Amino acid sequence: MQFNTGSDSSFQSEINITPLVDVVLVLLIIFMVVVPLLMEGYDVDIPRASAAPMAAQAEESQLILSIAPTACPIIEPLAGEGLPSDCRVTLGDQKIPAAELPARMAEFLGGRAVEKRVLFLAADDSLNYEGVLRIVDLAKSGVEGLKIEFIGTH
Amino acid sequence: MRLGEQSRMNASINITPLVDVVLVLLIIFMVMAPQMKKGPDVDVPDTSKPSSQGDERGRILVSIDEGGGLWIDDQQIAPENFGEALQTAVGDEPEPKVVIRGDSRLNFRDVRQTMLLIEQAGFRGVGLIAQRAEARGN
Repeated sequence: MQFNTGSDSSFQSEINITPLVDVVLVLLIIFMVVVPLLMEGYDVDIPRASAAPMAAQAEESQLILSIAPTACPIIEPLAGEGLPSDCRVTLGDQKIPAAELPARMAEFLGGRAVEKRVLFLAADDSLNYEGVLRIVDLAKSGVEGLKIEFIGTH
Repeated sequence: MRLGEQSRMNASINITPLVDVVLVLLIIFMVMAPQMKKGPDVDVPDTSKPSSQGDERGRILVSIDEGGGLWIDDQQIAPENFGEALQTAVGDEPEPKVVIRGDSRLNFRDVRQTMLLIEQAGFRGVGLIAQRAEARGN
């Protein structure tokens, strides 16, 4: 079949910019949405040095997670992902492997109201920061809406 | 002979200028992206599930570099001036939020001391910046 339509239309020499504008606007929107979200992390609380941080909560409901360099060897910067398999932490009065942390956290705090899900974290000064954050990550993954409060080790 | 009589009709959109513009935009953003990150070069810790730290408004970025030096946004701050500088950075922000971008090679001590400085400036909580491990191709 012969295409004759071209012969009737006047010659258009301008570039059709509609798809171009579409693409540019979509890109603009993508970047406007993505740029503010680039940062991710963990919200933690720092107790006031002056006030007694634990007075607010009843003694028996406090859950303390302590990380000692002797039980969890994360002194040097970590290579690769995750924590060393021999990393053990103390949750309440129990010594548990760090890998069990999400399950234990859920066991301890899962039954509480969301605003009472508080973990006090005592990390030793000599530990590697990334290792501490990975333990924070494990603790948060076990319990929804967990609040983490750092406390001093001494 | 009439114009267009012999030419085949071409129904597809000419995408060449579109590709030009998209590539130029891509280059612009590739050049801009490293400059959009504020602060010093920091090897942010990798973790599995960090959560979003809100948007830019009201966020005060405190970086701790590999050597333990403190930065607020793009400026290095001496520890003794830190409280003052933090107050200046807060300004009259209605809902300020401090986030710490610490290097993964630091000891927890450096981060804890920075948190204490932030606490002395009157903040109750901070955000600790991490990045998703998958973002590095893992």
